[in-house]
Amino acid sequence: MRNIMLKEMKLSASPISYLFILAGFTFFLPGYPVLCGAFFTTLGIFQGFQYAREANDIEFSVLLPVSKKDTVKGKYIFVCFVELCSFAVMAICTLVRMTALSGAAAYTSNALMNANLFALGTALVVFGLFNTIFLNGFFKTAYKQGKPFVIYIIAVFLAIALFEALHHIPGLEAVNAFGFEHAGLQLALLFAGAAVFLIMTLLSYKSSCRRFELIDL
Amino acid sequence: MSIAKIKNLTKEYPGFRLDDVSFPIEQGKITGFIGRNGAGKTTTIKSILNLVHPDGGEISYFGLPLAGNESEIKKRIGYSTGTVSWYPRKKIRDIVAVVKKFYETWDEAAYRRYLALFELDENKTPKELSEGMKVKFNLLIALSHGAEILILDEPTSGLDPFSRDELLGIFTQLKEQGVAVFFSTHITSDLEKCADNIIYISHGRIVSSMPKDEFVRAYSQKGENLEDTILRMERSAKNA
Repeated sequence: MRNIMLKEMKLSASPISYLFILAGFTFFLPGYPVLCGAFFTTLGIFQGFQYAREANDIEFSVLLPVSKKDTVKGKYIFVCFVELCSFAVMAICTLVRMTALSGAAAYTSNALMNANLFALGTALVVFGLFNTIFLNGFFKTAYKQGKPFVIYIIAVFLAIALFEALHHIPGLEAVNAFGFEHAGLQLALLFAGAAVFLIMTLLSYKSSCRRFELIDL
Repeated sequence: MSIAKIKNLTKEYPGFRLDDVSFPIEQGKITGFIGRNGAGKTTTIKSILNLVHPDGGEISYFGLPLAGNESEIKKRIGYSTGTVSWYPRKKIRDIVAVVKKFYETWDEAAYRRYLALFELDENKTPKELSEGMKVKFNLLIALSHGAEILILDEPTSGLDPFSRDELLGIFTQLKEQGVAVFFSTHITSDLEKCADNIIYISHGRIVSSMPKDEFVRAYSQKGENLEDTILRMERSAKNA
């Protein structure tokens, strides 16, 4: 598995996939829909998939001495690696916002969703959606990327709109609390987001393995 | 001795059917897989490399079924898919650096030897290679990890006559080392030069699978060379 990951990183990946990890810094931006940062990271991964298709990456991978399942696993591990790197950037930004910059007026009077523990959980849900809709859709043909990505865009912007709107619903203000107020609730929601990410990714991976085994390259 | 066995392989596409294809690949022999464009050569090769999912049939190498033993088997196989260009913008050096990690049997000395023989520059990218040089690059990888079977899809197409002759010479050397060479071609002179066995496919069906001498005895008419024989057989199949 180490070799297939090395192949993903050195041959298959586009520099854009790495560059868009920096989209995690959107969690620093006040008055900005921070979850768009998670979307931009997945956009970078999508660009990487396009680059890999031009390089006949899937056919090359299948000809290597690995099973087809390992080819799928390599893609999933690489995608999760990029997503978790971006998540780490988001987590650092969030912690800085919640501590050193907790008094900054730009953050305390933020009109949109705050970058807090709940926001981090929802970023993981965005990544889970990408893994479920785009990755699993891609492995239906190992070639067509447009349709699964468009479906993902629709789903992700509906999800972002929902998460942005949530704290406006009476009784749910706590999800948008800034600093460490309601930290317990938000931490629980972060773990729930992590669980959703994990479950969505695992189910998607299993489905992709089944699909990829049956297709003709 | 059969080192690989393909039995009753079938694959249906709209407008084409690979029908009940069976043949062995023998150790220490060069097997030429011949047929016109669209006869089913590439589909067969893709099926036996698990790039295409067959509708039926059995594929085994070294006595092991391909299904369930894919990674172990592929370590012992070398393959080349003609002029397909992998990672066109990466340097050959970088591609090889990744590929060789997959093979415990990677032979750096053989790699250097074939690199020099094929006159490939490691600092070039596949995009910068001519079609013939792309074939050589694919062959370079196939030949550098001590494969026991070489499966090559039209390895001689795009090569100049000198390179083709060199390559057929390499096949003969490998055969003498016990390697099974299985290659598809539509160039009959390649078969005349080096093949021990001929598998002839037409319209998705194996017409004949036998040693070259037997093939000539069975099908060639007086004064015909291999090309004349195959052309005649193909024409009568078309008119039938």
